[in-house]
Amino acid sequence: MGEFEEIVLLTVAILDGEAYGVSIITEIEERLRRKVSLGAIQTVLKRLEDKDMVKSEFGEATNIRGGKRKRLYEITSIGKNILSQAKEQRNSLWDAIPKVVFKFT
Amino acid sequence: MDMEHKPPSKVLAFFRWYCNPDFREEIEGDLIERFQCYSKEFGHKRANWLFIKEVLLLFRPTIIGNIHLANKKSIIMTTQSKRLLFILAAVPILLLIPYIAMQFSNGVDWKLLDFATMGMLLLGTGLLCEFVLRKVKGTKGRILMCGLVLLAFLLIWAELAVGIFGTAFAGS
Repeated sequence: MGEFEEIVLLTVAILDGEAYGVSIITEIEERLRRKVSLGAIQTVLKRLEDKDMVKSEFGEATNIRGGKRKRLYEITSIGKNILSQAKEQRNSLWDAIPKVVFKFT
Repeated sequence: MDMEHKPPSKVLAFFRWYCNPDFREEIEGDLIERFQCYSKEFGHKRANWLFIKEVLLLFRPTIIGNIHLANKKSIIMTTQSKRLLFILAAVPILLLIPYIAMQFSNGVDWKLLDFATMGMLLLGTGLLCEFVLRKVKGTKGRILMCGLVLLAFLLIWAELAVGIFGTAFAGS
């Protein structure tokens, strides 16, 4: 799983059932102060869905969306397991860094 | 659509044209929602530019769905037309070879009828090969059929030139 895929997957988990294209972009931009395009988000969401890490269903249509329905994404158990593994791997790497490395920075 | 501003219709039409129909509704909704947010934040003019940028950035293999399906026929037509043009251009170019040779050597002595006959033969061969390439789908079948057409061309040419079968059209 790539770094951006991980960020999107984490954001889908954060939004807990309210994750769709625009809400994911807003969340990432607010939390990470990082600009992302709709194209990048949609591509990653489709990829994550192909890998069964997220599942989706249509939500409601609103006037601000020109009457078009949202596609709401939700993390799956496979996605949760992969995120947990990624976190464990990172934690083990952090734990392996000698304390002296950060002492004099 | 009950909205203050609408996104540029031609850009939206371009998006609808290239987007995979399976994703069109959700992404179009996202695009319009983003456009409305941009309009409130930056004004209508800037929102238009940002909308164009979003539509262009969405032009990716994952999102593109129906271009190759909708236009497959026209793309094949273009390739076929190019090939046909190549065949039509190749006939006079090939006929130039004996014509140029005639300018430098007495060994080559073609009459107008020879040029006309060879022109018809070359054109017929090219058009038959084109017909085979359009109708036969498999590579093996195409090679076999085109090979037969070329063999027939060579045999007819040899018969007309030196008369290997002794028919009424045999040359000497």
